[in-house]
Amino acid sequence: MREKFSQDKLDRCISCGYCLPACPTYKLTGNEESSPRGRITLMRAVQNDKLPALDLLQESSFCLGCRACEPVCPAGVEYGVLLEEMREITWQGKNRPLIIRGLFFIVETKIGMWALGLLSPFAKRREASKDLHLMYGCFERRLFPSVSRAVAKLAPEVSCSSDQGCCGALHAHNGELEKGKEMAKALGEKLSGTILTTAGGCAAHLASVIGSERVQEFSQWWVKRDIELKPIKNAGRKIRVGLQDSCHLRNGMGVFAQPRNILAQLGDYVEIPGAADCCGAAGSYALLQKKNSRKVVSQKIADIEALDLDYIATVNPGCTRQLVTELRRARVKTKVIHLAELVAISQN
Amino acid sequence: MSASDLVAKLTALLGSDVVRSDAVSLQAYSRDATPMFEGLPEVIVAPRNTLGVSKIVKFAHDTKTPIIARGAGSNLCAATVPLNGGIVMSMTNMNKVLEVSKSEMIAIVQPGVTNLDLDQLVEKEGLRFVPDPGSRNVSTIGGNVATSAGGLRGLKYGTTRNYILGLEAVLGTGEIIRTGGRLVKDVAGYDVTRLLVGSEGTLAVFTEITVALAPRPEASKYGVAYFEDLAAAAEAVEKIITSGILPATLEFLDNTCLVAVEDFAHLGLDTKAGALLLFGDDGDLVSIEQSVSKMAEIAKASQGCRGVTLAADVAAAEALLYARRCSLPALARLSSLSILEDIAVPRKSMAEVVNRIEAIGKKHGLRIGTFGHAGDGNLHPTIVLDKDDPREVAAAEAALAEIFALPLEFGGTITGEHGVGSAKLPYLEAKIGSVNMQLQRSIKKVFDPAGILNPGRIGS
Repeated sequence: MREKFSQDKLDRCISCGYCLPACPTYKLTGNEESSPRGRITLMRAVQNDKLPALDLLQESSFCLGCRACEPVCPAGVEYGVLLEEMREITWQGKNRPLIIRGLFFIVETKIGMWALGLLSPFAKRREASKDLHLMYGCFERRLFPSVSRAVAKLAPEVSCSSDQGCCGALHAHNGELEKGKEMAKALGEKLSGTILTTAGGCAAHLASVIGSERVQEFSQWWVKRDIELKPIKNAGRKIRVGLQDSCHLRNGMGVFAQPRNILAQLGDYVEIPGAADCCGAAGSYALLQKKNSRKVVSQKIADIEALDLDYIATVNPGCTRQLVTELRRARVKTKVIHLAELVAISQN
Repeated sequence: MSASDLVAKLTALLGSDVVRSDAVSLQAYSRDATPMFEGLPEVIVAPRNTLGVSKIVKFAHDTKTPIIARGAGSNLCAATVPLNGGIVMSMTNMNKVLEVSKSEMIAIVQPGVTNLDLDQLVEKEGLRFVPDPGSRNVSTIGGNVATSAGGLRGLKYGTTRNYILGLEAVLGTGEIIRTGGRLVKDVAGYDVTRLLVGSEGTLAVFTEITVALAPRPEASKYGVAYFEDLAAAAEAVEKIITSGILPATLEFLDNTCLVAVEDFAHLGLDTKAGALLLFGDDGDLVSIEQSVSKMAEIAKASQGCRGVTLAADVAAAEALLYARRCSLPALARLSSLSILEDIAVPRKSMAEVVNRIEAIGKKHGLRIGTFGHAGDGNLHPTIVLDKDDPREVAAAEAALAEIFALPLEFGGTITGEHGVGSAKLPYLEAKIGSVNMQLQRSIKKVFDPAGILNPGRIGS
């Protein structure tokens, strides 16, 4: 069990505060301890035995883990890694939320994964190229099976293997960093060649462990195919479509131009205000911190409603779930759809 | 008074939503952006209005409790580190823009509004809030006023102090004063407004700030010139200004900074050059076209120039400026500790001074990256060192003492724009003399008879 932070990662932060305006929880509270800089100050205090480690529990849970602080950090602080270490230190034993324990059990066990896929019409297994494997995603195969089906249809060369476990992102983000890395390595061994994923969160975690050259998120991969897309029509005009960035895809992998490029071919692309800002799904956050998650997303829902869009495209299943839930609650008619499914509609 | 008494009394006075004293909050407010300074406060308060501030300061006065007003905590002189315990008063809840008057070209803001937010808001009226410190995305107007923050436009437009027309402030007794106002001309009484600007929280706490705005220029244009070394860039700067141009921006970086900035911003800068000069101007299209091309010509003809390129468009220029603002934090990529200084010297001595700084680095076996506002003679030599290497730490201390002494030889100053705070207080007397030191202490006593406002800084 981890007790200390990586000192070299703590040392990178010079407390300049350039991260403050980028942080959604700092925006909510205005409190220093709810900012990336403040949290690093707290981590340092724990590192130097000035604060008991468990005092970090509240902030380690309040942080979304969106990593919006990383691209704006001139010093190159790897806040995402520090947060994972913070959760590894604090979310142990009885301090690990029950929901997380349950989710871990599901994705760690064969029976759990079997149950996730049970009666769910996700892409059928098939052998095609040895150099390109589709990753189903644990919860995406259950919640949004049409996404993997769309990709399988778009790309006949993609292999779909039934023997694939979880990539370990869930573990890494929720206090089991080492286990999360092992799971990513194991998945990297099971699926040969390039792993194609429709989940930004999984892509960033996998890439950080097995190397970005082996991982392709859907939009990254599609733009390289260089296939002209037909615009999608709705009631005789091109669809109006926006995008919700995946935080880890954007802030962790620097992928944000690609999905926009694709959407601009599919319809009238509208940049929603704060498209790059976290939608509050943040992996397990929407389950663990429901109230705060809603506070984070509320402005976004109002903005989407005001824009009167046909579709809002997503590149990560957590975001899809969050936006579907919250838009429905607000009775907004805009449809939430994964980018791959929109591409598939256009190709029909 | 014990810490728990303090918390109980403040809570009774203000309500529990304004007062925090858990170990986590206290720890989070134990430092600002200055390395090597930290201290735990006993309580954090975050008032929402002037009356709240007044109540808190009066309480601090009556109980002789040190109190520090804090904005974003991005200052670089340890001005907001609670080295004496006491109260940290966070002003971030007072973050409203109260009024923007296009016809008077002023805005009235609460102190917790950030510099960038204000500028973006007034942009809608075709106006601009001119002072642009490197930290403008995060720093608050209150903090800018408290340190008379400078920035990249100092040479042509001046610093924060040139843009503050009026203040509402709470004295060390809790009394509320208004000074100055909405007018450009107003000589009724001593210029207390100007005295309070740059007072670093030692004389009063700002609760409302009236700032002068300027019309937003029609256009701006920027370019980059590369030189063999910083001294060559400094010579070119002197030539540019003596040629009769007063440009908005003349910034330079040495190779160490250049490499760090490129590593963060990926702008395709020439990292082989010894120094980079960023020059630019704003105004109407015709005149900036003239001034910028003239600057480019002078730079090109200067000794040691390796090449000049003009930014292709506004986005490219913005990226250059942003990268320049990130020089300091980008330097943190190089090592575990960076100690930044903020000296200013008459421009004509700048080439000599940058050479001397380089010599100091060599002599002590230290890596010093220097960047700065070349047009203002304001230099930020930054020592990057391994904080766990005792040799480097000792060498840095010796080098710093020499760097502080350096500007005084040339009629310069120990701090151009960051402030005195705790970090530079030991060097202040050498700059301003003992009589002036005594005068400053006497002034502080008048505003803050109990000596509670940010003690251990100016006036102490």
